[in-house]
Amino acid sequence: MTDAIRATGLVKTFGPKRALDGFDLQVASGEVHGFLGPNGAGKSTTIRVLLGLLKADAGEVTLLGGDPWRDAVALHRRLAYVPGDVTLWPTLSGGESIDLLGRLRGGLDPRRRADLVDRFELDTKVKGRAYSKGNRQKVALVAALAADVELLLMDEPTSGLDPLMEALFQEVVREAAADGRTVLLSSHILAEVEALARRVTIIRAGRAVQSGSLEELRSLTRTSVTVGVRDPDGALAALSTRAGVHHARQDDGHVTFDVDADALDGVLATLPAHGVHSLVAHPPTLEDLFLRQYGEELATMKAEQ
Amino acid sequence: MTAVAERTSDPLAGTRGLVRLALRADRWRIAVWAVAVAWLSVVSVQALETVYTSPESRAARAELIASPAATALAGPGYGLDDYTIGAMTANELALWIMLPVAIMAVLAVTRHLRAPEEDGRLELVRSQPVGSAAPVVAGLVAAAAAVLAVGGLTFVGLLTTSLDPAGSALMCASVVVVALVLAGASAVASQLSTHARTASSLGMAAVGAAFVLRAVGDVQGPRSTSVWSWLSPFGWSQATAPYTVDRWWPLLLGLAATAVSIAVAFALAGRRDLGTGLLPDRPGREHGRVGGVVGLTWRRQRTAIWSWGAAIVLSGLLVGVLAAQLVDFVAEQPAFADLYPGGVGGATAAAFALYSVFLAVLASAYVTTAVGAARHEETSGRAETLLALPLSRTRWLGAQLGLALGAAVTMLLVAGVVMGLTAAASLDDDSQVATLVGATAVTVPGVLCVLAFAVLVLGCAPRAFPLVWAYVAYVGVMAMFGELLPDGADVASPFTYLPALPAEPMSWAPVVACTLVALVLALGGLAGFRRRDLGA
Repeated sequence: MTDAIRATGLVKTFGPKRALDGFDLQVASGEVHGFLGPNGAGKSTTIRVLLGLLKADAGEVTLLGGDPWRDAVALHRRLAYVPGDVTLWPTLSGGESIDLLGRLRGGLDPRRRADLVDRFELDTKVKGRAYSKGNRQKVALVAALAADVELLLMDEPTSGLDPLMEALFQEVVREAAADGRTVLLSSHILAEVEALARRVTIIRAGRAVQSGSLEELRSLTRTSVTVGVRDPDGALAALSTRAGVHHARQDDGHVTFDVDADALDGVLATLPAHGVHSLVAHPPTLEDLFLRQYGEELATMKAEQ
Repeated sequence: MTAVAERTSDPLAGTRGLVRLALRADRWRIAVWAVAVAWLSVVSVQALETVYTSPESRAARAELIASPAATALAGPGYGLDDYTIGAMTANELALWIMLPVAIMAVLAVTRHLRAPEEDGRLELVRSQPVGSAAPVVAGLVAAAAAVLAVGGLTFVGLLTTSLDPAGSALMCASVVVVALVLAGASAVASQLSTHARTASSLGMAAVGAAFVLRAVGDVQGPRSTSVWSWLSPFGWSQATAPYTVDRWWPLLLGLAATAVSIAVAFALAGRRDLGTGLLPDRPGREHGRVGGVVGLTWRRQRTAIWSWGAAIVLSGLLVGVLAAQLVDFVAEQPAFADLYPGGVGGATAAAFALYSVFLAVLASAYVTTAVGAARHEETSGRAETLLALPLSRTRWLGAQLGLALGAAVTMLLVAGVVMGLTAAASLDDDSQVATLVGATAVTVPGVLCVLAFAVLVLGCAPRAFPLVWAYVAYVGVMAMFGELLPDGADVASPFTYLPALPAEPMSWAPVVACTLVALVLALGGLAGFRRRDLGA
């Protein structure tokens, strides 16, 4: 499988601020790739570099086999972009904006346009200045999704959409993926990325701090387990001494703890001795992955102080 | 409990903070306006003092200005029988100080009242303990501060001239009052429409209507005898007749009108929902017919293009209409004709050359707004949406520049034809058509230079764009007052080098040179724009 996007060592500075600081990104053709990071981490800067709107100060980037800065026009024929903060022409209606963007692209599929307008329940007669944030976002989504392209670059595309529209958005992205399109989905809504992407890259302070499949990332972190046992004190004592068990605590007959993936086997073997009557285990969510990053950051900050 | 209720229902709560915010945001703008208006007023008065030294020349000027076409653009004509420099200043200059200051006040009010509400900033502010009338007060105070600063500094500047200080005080007060009246009207307009652009258009329409009413009145009856003059705030402020009659009471009308319109704005602000207006927003088309960047730019700019075009063509029309009176004026003033090679014919040719450059300066201002609009598309993020499509930066910018250039050239040539036709009729000389079309056409390379400079700044130093406006102001001042300023002051204006047709013979070298300079600057700007980050 070839890579739709491959970036290595990207650096972009704005004055004294290093927005990208040796950032790496690899997106395979045909995958939905989650691009996660807190506000100001460099997600939008990365996407603008991929669009050739910003020129990287250092590093290499290949997009659909071309150079996004040099081959911008040719590459843009094969991709569509949904900005995070959509601004429309105040005096043009939503329908006029969609058709303008389509015409500049060389034509939209009118049936797909009609279908998307219908499903997103977008009133295309409203002037750009009168749309709410969510409706402006819908205009950009319809214009991008009605285009026949290989790659979709989406920068927090669901900000402003209500939960129903967000579910619809996930449905359309799945359809796009089923058609073989590549999607780079930037977001800080972890549940959305979990629902759509199989692989993710987490960016923080301009660097890729983790990248890989969700399974790989999860294996790097701990599983949370809550067991109901007849002998909670004994279970707690036994668990507390085992390597790989963290934050073990007892609460009303239940013992709750986090366990490293490689220690899970041994921990499960010790439990039957204490009379298990219920067990809930859940894999780490992206929140956990995220919080782990923040946790480390907080720890370093404390250490520095 | 009652204390809380009083506090929350106080429509003026939080006014002080908003006033400080508005004044802080505007401090540089106010300073630039005050210095520019004061300086231009002083320079203009000094020019009149230098040129009209003899009673005969001033009497001839009075005769020229008493014609209907000139009166429409001047004033009610107080003191025409003894046309002193003071009477001349009040009759001819005062209106042209009032007009820009009134426009400044209208724009200041919408900028503080409607724009923050439209883009949502006001929602954040109003969620604080801030009353419904507080933003209205803040906008009005900011506008009033700007108007008072301009009026005060102009008064101080005029003390350096030979004019009577009491008359200057009255004239500056008249400027302040008419601007306040229109600021009040703009505050009402800001309550009517949801959109800052519509609100400022309504405010500008009020300025235009007031201007037209006084023009009609002054043409119908000199010295404010027509009822039409008394329907216009400009008419009230001109009825004070500084330096001649010197009366203050007409300003009370202006102050009363200001108070009424502010009361109406307060009442409307307290009655309507945040983010809404009293005028409905019409729906647009379901499907678009806007194709391509040229179509989009036309759609966005057409109102501006029609407005600038109308201003330029009407100016040309007036010059043509006044041509015959100009010839009479020069013929009666042999001293004047002596200043020009070729006598009377030379003097009119010099006047036509000057007016052609004046039209070109207007066209330069228009092309600067057009490049500024491209910059606004970029900073607003809309350019990003378009340039993520298969659309090169060259095509995106080139289409907008092409439309601006085409519009500017069309405006100038149409103005040249209109000026030529009316001059041909008033002078009874058909050759004027070709002459004056040539005179406006030869200024086109100068407009190109200004456009190219704007492109260079946009491409290479976009944050310095206000510099382009400073350059346009410089070019305008040099074109109008260059003769009165030290030698070499006008070295950076293209119009210094272009042949001043029809006063000077045609020469192609400067035309070609200006075009080449413009081409180099524009290509440099385009190259810079292609190389830099978008949104930088």
